[in-house]
Amino acid sequence: MIFNRSPLADHESSEQTVSNVYSSMRKQQTLVRSLLTRMGLFLSVLLLASCGVSNVTIEGSFPTPNISKLPLTVAVYYDDALREFAYLEYSETGAEEFNIESGQSHIELFNAVLPAMFEEVVVVDSMEAAEARGVDAVFAPLIEEFQLALPAKTKLDVYEVWIKYNMRLVTAEGDYIADWVLTSYGKTPTETFRTTEAAINDAAVVALRDLASSFSLSFTQVPEVRDWLASL
Amino acid sequence: MKSLVSIASARTLLLFSAALLAACTSTTVDEFRQGETGIENDEAVVILGRRQASDYETRSEFVECVGDRMARGDNAINIVPEQEFIDAMFPWFEPRTAPLRTRDLEQLMAEDVVAAKMSEYGIRYIVWLDGFTETTDRQGSISCTIGPGGGGCFGFGTWEDDANFDARVWDVGSLTNVGTINTDATGQSYLPALVVPIPLIARVEANACNRLATQLKDFVNGS
Repeated sequence: MIFNRSPLADHESSEQTVSNVYSSMRKQQTLVRSLLTRMGLFLSVLLLASCGVSNVTIEGSFPTPNISKLPLTVAVYYDDALREFAYLEYSETGAEEFNIESGQSHIELFNAVLPAMFEEVVVVDSMEAAEARGVDAVFAPLIEEFQLALPAKTKLDVYEVWIKYNMRLVTAEGDYIADWVLTSYGKTPTETFRTTEAAINDAAVVALRDLASSFSLSFTQVPEVRDWLASL
Repeated sequence: MKSLVSIASARTLLLFSAALLAACTSTTVDEFRQGETGIENDEAVVILGRRQASDYETRSEFVECVGDRMARGDNAINIVPEQEFIDAMFPWFEPRTAPLRTRDLEQLMAEDVVAAKMSEYGIRYIVWLDGFTETTDRQGSISCTIGPGGGGCFGFGTWEDDANFDARVWDVGSLTNVGTINTDATGQSYLPALVVPIPLIARVEANACNRLATQLKDFVNGS
């Protein structure tokens, strides 16, 4: 069987082919444009993310100290400055680099340490509440200063954290007992597959443990505290 | 043609063998004994890393490595994990509060809670590890390129690693320093790159760990 094709049919077929090619090209162009847009968007998001501040919330576990308890009932008051404490580290160009939130971890630390130091510990929401509870003393810690040293800036192979505290001890009525400064230090070495955020967290946890050890062991050696304990 | 290929293969093999041999480490162990040692089956050893120095700290991985190797094989010793011991003794063995001399340990043992915990764990010896691994003499360079047809690296790098660790053994029974073991392992590492980088790493820290653990095990057992 032989089919004869007319010249008109050939022309129509050729037009259709050209139209198909154009359509296919247009589709490809749209696809490429869409891919480029997506890639551009992805790179922009990546760039924005890398430029933004990195949040680090300090997390760790703190053991209970093995020390002799003092036969005292102490109230502890964590003010908002401690509860919401955050430190902002800036890069050398002045851009915000790391936002380190350590308020909650400080509360967890004191909640682990204080019951090992005193016979009874109560957490109060205000100084007035402490008076109503009739406690022997009210303890109110305060973070005065937080410092971070990164290997990129110090050229040392360690991440370091320094924290300066103001420890305040008052009677239930609010009268002064003692007010002393305590510093803590923590460091952790650089490791190949560890992020800067994880290293900062580890150094901060070491610093918090240092605070717990020096606070629990030196509490009775603070002159004003020693005098107050002797007067009881 | 065949002989040309075999010569090339032989040369490559020779090059790799030479590089492998060169990547080997040399380890020196020095022991200084100051007292009699020995350990019973119900007694244990704790290995702790020193972390008082400002610019370095003994890596906990190295401490763990020495402990693991002492706890297996012939004459295996009961090892208390470092972090478990430090947490159980908290706050007495933190970097700032840990005893630096045996005299400090004597004062520490006067604390009832410390003495009770030591007894609970059956600690007979405390081994203090102090040291670090340093990389020096970095030489050479490697450049990598990538293009539409593929990518590859070309060049040669070399460096020297030196692991130096001291182990001081304290007898908790007699509250004395019974000996010191020093381990020094050095090795040259190579990184030739012909399209693909081939690392020939000198495992100095692993060798230092093995040799120190073997020596410590013998030392504690009194042999």
